Amino acid sequence: MPKGDALGEFEQLVLLAILRLQKDAYGMRVRQELSDRTSRDVTIGAVYATLDRLAEKGFVDSATGDPTPERGGRAKRCFRVTAAGIGALDRARRDLANMLEGVVLPHPRGAQ
Amino acid sequence: MTPPLFARALLLAVAGAPESHYVAGDLEEEFAQLCHCRGRSAASRWYLRQVIGSLPPLLALRIRSGQLTGVLLRAVIGIGLPLMALDRLWCFVYSQIPLKDGTGRAPEYLAFNLVCIGLAAALSAPPGAAGAIASGCAAAFALACATGATPLPYTALVILAVVLIPCCKTVRARRRRL
Repeated sequence: MPKGDALGEFEQLVLLAILRLQKDAYGMRVRQELSDRTSRDVTIGAVYATLDRLAEKGFVDSATGDPTPERGGRAKRCFRVTAAGIGALDRARRDLANMLEGVVLPHPRGAQ
Repeated sequence: MTPPLFARALLLAVAGAPESHYVAGDLEEEFAQLCHCRGRSAASRWYLRQVIGSLPPLLALRIRSGQLTGVLLRAVIGIGLPLMALDRLWCFVYSQIPLKDGTGRAPEYLAFNLVCIGLAAALSAPPGAAGAIASGCAAAFALACATGATPLPYTALVILAVVLIPCCKTVRARRRRL
């Protein structure tokens, strides 16, 4: 597998957020989903930069939605995970499961 | 309710053309929701924090997509070429005045412009055949200008910049494809 096709941690989270949101996956909802579920302070710029990188790798594609008044008449860009993206997520999950197999994680305080 | 004008203007200025449209729309939608829940001042603070935090990734995105280098190229050529033309005209005028002939302008002045143009051209060149042609033209242009006017180290620097940067880009793009 080429190095560029590997998923970073944030890329995995973004892909999972899109999968969770299904048809409602656009920038703001992806950002909210990440903030709510990971307790991270995620900025919209970071989300779009990651989505752009994922689109470049062919892991997501996008379609422009209708403009709405609450968005100041601007259209939204809805994202969808491609088959290649699902494959990459599956590989990342398998890799993590393989690495975790047989490992007993010590308590974070005990490791200090 | 409209978000803070300064923050919105900053966002639109930094983000590239397609992204700024979607990012501004997303932020505006969430801003309106926050205004209802937490009030306008809290929503404005949130908006400003989002814009400031979004500037580095959006800027990086713009550089990666080649938009910023295009802008840089146009700006440098727009400033550099007229300055060089003015410099040559100034030299010509001086050469026509008795006892002033041979008083050339500082070569660093011209060389700096050449380096800027060469670097901007090299950075703007896309990887692949088009990039090779663009960098070749830029190299020829820099060489033609530099041989008449600048000392060798500057010429070498310009040629290195216009040839090496697109080459590195092409190699990196090939590696990524493999």
